Amino acid sequence: MSIPRVLNRKNRILLKELTKTDFKLRYQGSVLGYLWALLRPLMMFAILYIVFAKLLRIGGDIPHYPVYLLCGTTMWSFFTECTSQGIQAIVNRGDLLRKISFPKYIVVVSATLTAVINMLINLGVIIIFALINGVAPSPTWLLAIPAIFELYLLSLGLAFLLGSINVKYRDITSIWDVCIQALFYAVPIIYPISMVASTSEVAAKIILLNPISQAIQDIRFGLITTETITTWNYLASPAVIIPIILVAATLIFGAITFRRKSKFFAEEV
Amino acid sequence: MKRPIGTRAEINDPNAPAIKVEHLHKSFRLPTEQAFGLKQTIFNRLRGIKGYREQKVLKGLDFTVNQGEFLGIVGRNGSGKSTLLKILAGIYYPEKGSITVNGSLVPFIELGVGFNPELTGRENVYLNGALLGFSNEEMDAMYDEIWEFAELKDFQDQKLKNYSSGMQVRLAFSIAIRARGDILLLDEVLAVGDAAFQQKCNDYFENLKNNHQTVILVTHSMENVRKFCTRAILIDDGKIIKDGKPDKVADAYLKLWS
Repeated sequence: MSIPRVLNRKNRILLKELTKTDFKLRYQGSVLGYLWALLRPLMMFAILYIVFAKLLRIGGDIPHYPVYLLCGTTMWSFFTECTSQGIQAIVNRGDLLRKISFPKYIVVVSATLTAVINMLINLGVIIIFALINGVAPSPTWLLAIPAIFELYLLSLGLAFLLGSINVKYRDITSIWDVCIQALFYAVPIIYPISMVASTSEVAAKIILLNPISQAIQDIRFGLITTETITTWNYLASPAVIIPIILVAATLIFGAITFRRKSKFFAEEV
Repeated sequence: MKRPIGTRAEINDPNAPAIKVEHLHKSFRLPTEQAFGLKQTIFNRLRGIKGYREQKVLKGLDFTVNQGEFLGIVGRNGSGKSTLLKILAGIYYPEKGSITVNGSLVPFIELGVGFNPELTGRENVYLNGALLGFSNEEMDAMYDEIWEFAELKDFQDQKLKNYSSGMQVRLAFSIAIRARGDILLLDEVLAVGDAAFQQKCNDYFENLKNNHQTVILVTHSMENVRKFCTRAILIDDGKIIKDGKPDKVADAYLKLWS
């Protein structure tokens, strides 16, 4: 699959139209429609905020903690939505695969793009909340862009890898649901990493080597507060490259697996 | 999971035949008992059971389709016609042998691919168009014609689930006939619709034939084979048993049961 073919006109049209359809169908038949893309993470945030910031009083020493929390939950939702939808994509679009011939990666990418659109809407909300909360606009905001991109590439790699196995073994969907639950606690979203660091520095370091933690902390560092503990400012050793390597490896391995298996998707799905 | 793979090449040579199929084989792995899911697979591995059996569908096909030919492919249910069409379309991979497709190929394995009942007629037209390779602008240009032809203008903003099945087919057909390609692959698209719709289909095929469009048609209608095809192939049990004049092949097809 050469580059010109990947980006040719027909594939671009298809990608655009499938993404549009996915997005439309997601909110089909609901009264508030697209507003749910905004409301869902906001409600999730409200719950976490009440429980963790108000009742349990975690994160008192972090500036702008509510937005910090919102930023974490939004990026986490982005990751889970991207991977879950991406893994399901081939199976969900089985009818298309059996009837027309097109590069299969398009259905996976279109499924994840819906999550990207949702995330971008929520990013707007985060920025508004941040400004209300007294965060001053700063050039460090730009640092969030590569970190978000990295999170997307990781999700895409996982979607390719697990999605291609899911065609034959649908158990992957259930296994991934459990993994997501476990990962949620392995990533410093609802708890500040400083809490872990105060009991065990090693544990904090291991948590920060997870590319999801690394990306989310970097996004928070860029957008909310430069006091955020990140992988590179906490580890301060060549090991900071490990999360990047993990992302690259996942993406490459995922793409290769997907490409190898995609020839048989139409027969197996 | 290692399987031999044949080749499927796409070329663009005005002097070469439209499609060339050489020594094409295809078999499917059909799961025996419930070999779906991880648990069963692991058990089967441990017990040394394969968990599937090999079903040979195509057993060595050789044929060439010349440019401008209207080729009919006939055969009993399960003889491998549709599998052949799907391999030609690039949906399935050839297991052994090679396929060379010359020029652009538009497959209609089914009408209305991607139609979604929750979307409106308008949205479905654009979606289906995109699957056929049309951009939004191209669809804009032919949008009114499509509805005119389908005679469904009043329904364009209704959800597709409120259409009758006949209406859906009419709409899908109206979009499908806009598709332009060097080679058209058609699988049983005529099998539906009322008398008036059948007439439209006939006109469409007549038109294709007169324009010397290269067409490969899979059908059970010997009437259509005799009427439109310039050549036909009879497939039985994964092999070509007759290749030649449509009348002769249609007779041979009917003799399969005698």
